[in-house]
Parts: sequence; structure tokens; C-alpha cells
Amino acid sequence: MGIIKKIKIVVAGPFAAGKTQFINTVSEIKTVRTERKTQSAGEKAVKDYTTVAMDFGKIKIDDEHELYLFGTPGQLRFDFMWEILGEGALGIIILVDSTNPSTFHDARRIINFFQSRFPVPIVIGANKQDLPNAWSPTDVATALDIQEDEGIPVLPVSAVDKESVKRTLIALLEIVKMYLRS
Amino acid sequence: MALTGDLSTFNFVDILQVIAKDRKSGILVVDWKDIMIVYYVKDGEIVFARPVDRIFRVYAERNFEQMLSKLRISKDVLHKTIERFLLSRFDNKQGIFSLTPGFIEYPQEVPVHYPIEELIFIASRSLTPEEVDRRISDDMLLFDKSSNLEEKIEKAKLTKEEMQVLDLINGARTVGEIRLASGLDRLTVDRTLYALLAIGVIHRKKKERQQKPPITLELLTKVIEKIKGL
Repeated sequence: MGIIKKIKIVVAGPFAAGKTQFINTVSEIKTVRTERKTQSAGEKAVKDYTTVAMDFGKIKIDDEHELYLFGTPGQLRFDFMWEILGEGALGIIILVDSTNPSTFHDARRIINFFQSRFPVPIVIGANKQDLPNAWSPTDVATALDIQEDEGIPVLPVSAVDKESVKRTLIALLEIVKMYLRS
Repeated sequence: MALTGDLSTFNFVDILQVIAKDRKSGILVVDWKDIMIVYYVKDGEIVFARPVDRIFRVYAERNFEQMLSKLRISKDVLHKTIERFLLSRFDNKQGIFSLTPGFIEYPQEVPVHYPIEELIFIASRSLTPEEVDRRISDDMLLFDKSSNLEEKIEKAKLTKEEMQVLDLINGARTVGEIRLASGLDRLTVDRTLYALLAIGVIHRKKKERQQKPPITLELLTKVIEKIKGL
């Protein structure tokens, strides 16, 4: 068997935005996680474990190609991993917890980071749309200060719903297709 | 649906930006630590403010003109309520807000003494270094001016220093370079950039694409089909 060629998509976003769940929902392998117990009181209140290096999921495309989904750690103290994981990515999905506006600024910071370093398509997933207090994608876009000419769509996502995750991935790949044709 | 949040993490510039962006109408309720204040929002402008002891009063008085008449407030002095209950509170970072669109019946014309652009700039002058760092987070960020900015700039009433920062934005200078070239302190530059973004007269410029994505169209189509079939 020949060498498998890897196609890479990065799933980034603030702490507890749902990145691990997003990857887990579509990965054909059990997601490889690098989790440790949360340290700060604020983080502990949200979840017990958090990603510290990356999450990794995989979808086999054919005998020669695999799509790799890399989830970044959300906390700013792990931002050195964003740079490593962003290198060579086909595109970047940034998930935002639509029910938690206190994380929107961290999300914007992450968008700024990738936008100023990697000239690849970015899609924002306004996650947790299945929860009653979720901000709409339009309001999330305004809060994140996404301007129309940035060419970054903000899509409704529920990371627990496979169809929703698929739609987000396809939206990103359709932008890549536009890039290829331009 | 109401938008709710905490002022410690979603500051007043951000709230005003949300109001301005879609020219929203409705009410903004802020439960400050010491007092609850209702801000009346019409077509993206804050037109009136009043403290309330019980929130149900607001819901009971949906007709704006009747409410003013009941409170014996003339339209000529509405801006005084903005000064007293909004401008004076931008330094206060503790409170819970809730922005509820609709339901207030506004008359056609309500005077606007403080345009939302000016309020955004006044609020931005109270942003802390931590607050500005959330949005102006990267020295490498590039900004460019948007078209049709004159009217908004005029409404915003920029100071000389803020105007100086605006003049340095050309789509080529990074944030780090603007800070250096301005000779101003970092916080003033960053607050100005934050507010200019919020009123929509500048936008981020994307890193230019150097080459085509590292994938063929044929393979990409295959990937899309695979995902569809999952």
C-alpha cells in the first residue's frame, strides 16, 4: 500500500466551544484526545477535562487520501499549538459557543490570529444552536465583528448533530472550491 | 429573542455596536450593581434612559409617548437622561444586560442628541487595556478604511488623536506600525481602532492569498461527496 496523503482541516475556537464534540461527531475513528483535568476554578465549573495539545479525527476519502480534523486547545495559553496546527491546513473552522457571549472576544482573538497568519478559508460555526438561549448566527456575527467583506460565513451549528457538522465542513470546502476556480 | 450578557465580558462598546449594526429598536436593560436602568432604543439609536425599580413597569408602558407624558418628560430634555444614566456609567464594568428587540411603540420622530457613533466613541475612551486586547489582539492585524465613512466620522466627533490614528490606516500598516507611527500611547491607539471597527468605518484586511489551495478540484469534489455520504 502506498503512502496515504493527508488533507487537513483545523477546528479552532475558545474553551468549551464544542470542538472535540464536533470532530467526534463525524470522525470515522474514535477521536484521539489529549486531555488533562481543568485547572482554574472558572474552567472546572464548565467541564472537568480540556484539550491541551490537540484532538484528532479522521475520515477516509479513498485508498490514497484521508481527511484529518485537528482540534486546537481553546485556551490562549496554548496558542503556540494554533500556529503548529494551522500550518498546511486547507481551511479553518472556528467554533463559538452561541450561548456564552463571554467567550466571543476569545473567539475574535482566535479569528485574528488565523486571519493574519494563514491565507486560507475560514468558516465560523455558531455552535449550540440547539440550546434555548443561543444567540442567532446573525447576532454572533455582529458580536464577533465579522464584516461582510471579510468573506467569513457564520453558520448555525449543533456539534452533536451529524448533519449540522457535515453542512459546516461542506460550506468550508465549497469556499476552497471557489478559491481553486478563481 | 433577548440578547443577554455580562458587562465584564461584553462591554458597552460591543453592546452599542450590536444596536447600531442592525439599527435595532427595543429596550436595553442593564442591571448595574447599584441600580437597574432601561435604555430605550429606536432604529439603532439610544433615545432615552430611566431607572426602574421593577422591570414589569417597562412592559406595562409600551407606548413611548404615553410613557413620557406620564413621567412628565419633554422630548427636548431626553438627552439629559442619556447624560445622567449612560455617559456617566461607562467606567462601571459590572452589570448584566439584556437587549430585547421590538414591543415598544415609538412615534415616527424621536430626537437623537447623541448619535450611536458618538456614544461608541465616548464608551471606547473608558475601555481598559484588557478589554481592547480582546479585539486588537495582534500586532500583525491589518486594517483598511471602508467606503462612505465621512458621515459616521462626523457623527462620532473624534478627538485630534483619534483622527490621527484614522489617518494612519491605509491597508498596509499593521497595528504595530500604526502604534509606532502615531507616537501616541498604545491604549489610545487601540481604543480608537476598537471604536472605529465598532462604528464600521474600518475593516480588517485579510492576509493575501499567495497560492492556490494544495488540492486538486477532482480530489476536493471527492472529499465533499464523501462527507455528504457520511
